[in-house]
Amino acid sequence: MTARRARRASQGRGSGLSRRQFLTRGGAAIGGVALGSAVLGSTSAFASIGGQSGGETGGKLSVLNWPLYIDKKSKGLFEDETGVDLKYSESLNDNNEFFAKYQRQFSQDEYPGFDIAVPTSWMAKRLIDLGYVQKLPLDAIPNAANLAPGFQGAPWDPTGEYTLPWQTGMTGIAYNLDVTGRELTSFSDLYDKKFKNKVGMLLEMRDTVGLACQAEGIDTATVTYKQAQPALDRLQKAVDAGQVRRFTGNDYQDDLVDGNFAACVGWSGDVAQLLIDNDALRFVIPEEGGMRWADTMVWVSTAKRQAQVAAWMDYFYDQANAARVAAYVQYISPVDGIADDLTAIDPALSSSPLIFPPEDVQARLKVFNQELSKKDEEKFDARFAEITGS
Amino acid sequence: MAGARDTGARRARFAPYGLLSPGVLWLVLFFLVPVLTLARASLSDRPNRFLPSELDFSWNFSNFGDALSQYSEQFIRSFVYAGIATALCIAIGYPLAYVIAFRGGRYKNLLLGLVVIPFFTTYLIRTIAWKTILGDEGEVVSVLRSLGILGATQGLLATPGAVIGGLTYNFLPFMVLPIYVSLEKIDRNLVAAAQDLYSTPARAFWKVVLPLSLPGVFAGSLLTFIPASGDFINAQFLGSPKTAMIGNVVQNQFLVQLDYPTAAALSITLMVIITFFVLLYAKFLGTEELTG
Repeated sequence: MTARRARRASQGRGSGLSRRQFLTRGGAAIGGVALGSAVLGSTSAFASIGGQSGGETGGKLSVLNWPLYIDKKSKGLFEDETGVDLKYSESLNDNNEFFAKYQRQFSQDEYPGFDIAVPTSWMAKRLIDLGYVQKLPLDAIPNAANLAPGFQGAPWDPTGEYTLPWQTGMTGIAYNLDVTGRELTSFSDLYDKKFKNKVGMLLEMRDTVGLACQAEGIDTATVTYKQAQPALDRLQKAVDAGQVRRFTGNDYQDDLVDGNFAACVGWSGDVAQLLIDNDALRFVIPEEGGMRWADTMVWVSTAKRQAQVAAWMDYFYDQANAARVAAYVQYISPVDGIADDLTAIDPALSSSPLIFPPEDVQARLKVFNQELSKKDEEKFDARFAEITGS
Repeated sequence: MAGARDTGARRARFAPYGLLSPGVLWLVLFFLVPVLTLARASLSDRPNRFLPSELDFSWNFSNFGDALSQYSEQFIRSFVYAGIATALCIAIGYPLAYVIAFRGGRYKNLLLGLVVIPFFTTYLIRTIAWKTILGDEGEVVSVLRSLGILGATQGLLATPGAVIGGLTYNFLPFMVLPIYVSLEKIDRNLVAAAQDLYSTPARAFWKVVLPLSLPGVFAGSLLTFIPASGDFINAQFLGSPKTAMIGNVVQNQFLVQLDYPTAAALSITLMVIITFFVLLYAKFLGTEELTG
């Protein structure tokens, strides 16, 4: 989803990145990828030389992930433990932009400069369908057995051969109590005329349209373009009436904190982090239902480095390592049984409803139709573009 | 001997072309070829959405019709916003350039530097900074609200005014600098002569300074209007869905919809309309009649 992990900070107050720093780093990261690919392109032979056991894998690995989606320490520890020389880029900012940027290289069987990328599940499915990613070396990833049961046989990858989730999370409503003056419970609250020109929505179509559909009682898990019409019409009407101030990527956080938004569609981990600095912020899964998503690791078809790819995935499916990342990003880890490790890091984390959503919240979470037809997806995208004004 | 003279003459005859060739080559490679590629894409079909660069050329003129009918609102908005921003740039930039050129004295370079210095920061950061300054809970809005200029729930951001303001701010130096150059070149004796002939200062300005500075205004207007029409940053950060400009549409069509034909048709249309405006403008404020 669109750079949802901007401004995450592991150790609380004061260490959050400002948007400006974030942008600067984003730029640096893009440079990093380009350089990385040039350097790494010629050394992929390492992959077949590297051993399997810890510390001896060696070689190089290039990972493309979303901004601020891993703690600094984990990268160093991974390198120390496996001996892999890691190039880690944070320039994945938007699924659609990612696809637009690398599609040509993928389609021409060129190495895009990274071995592992972490697109959201629906984009991962597209990459699988197009043959742009290859089956994971699961034999060399014993910790893959720690994948939480809820993600086994996931609709985007029914056999589980192509993807392993990196983080998962919830899409709901974030609001600033200072501006709303009341608690919100429903997506329909975003249509409240009192919040005219103070409502934000996400450019990630599946999140915004997903919530809007659920508000109309439409089941998003099987939704078709035709079924979604009432929700799309209502969104369009709200935009025409000046209800929606902006459609954003990760920058919704600034608008929310600054009070430009009274309420907006937002991602759970972001709000968990923002809460540390601002106790007027709230995150709620609307009573009609919220969205659940997963960002998944895939192995690019043209990439080699099998041993390193396996080492990376195995390392982060180890519970202690997964807990360290989860404590930093505050999303829902797809790795089962990390509660004890999280408690050891910070006792408060294991009771956080954003990391461990209670049963009744989980029951309200839906995914967006994972088997959406190509035609319908195109119609959704075109209509949503129209709603966003472009 | 005759042969040698021949080669010399030939060399002389071909020398201008030789000197031109790097420029021509540049234009062909980096202007003509891309524009033709764009034109070709704009007349193509897109058989597979996920393979956007595999286009079937088919003289599909309906791409233009579809794009224009669907996005006429954003087109009109872009030209209106860019037009207002250009006019504001002239209104703000001309007096500024005038003061620097005629009254700047030894501070001229310093003053020019001050005009340009904010633009050492990148475009994106400057625009986002305005978001902070004009925020609904920010100082500016709270002052305007307490003065009763804005209503209690009104703000500045996410309005057409904010987008036009952002465009004006971001393109101001491109107006100031050309106007300054044309004012600077004016022979001060001409102004003195006008006043010797009993012109009031206002009349001398109107009859002498202004006409001589029009080439600068013309150049500045082009440098402002053209990029402002295609801009999408200001609308994205300072605007709302209802202030989206054609640049936002092109960006979305290229990078999200992967609809290269539509995006190309929009780009070509934008180029044609801008060219039309520029020619129209040149007719009224053209440099020929000023220098002739």
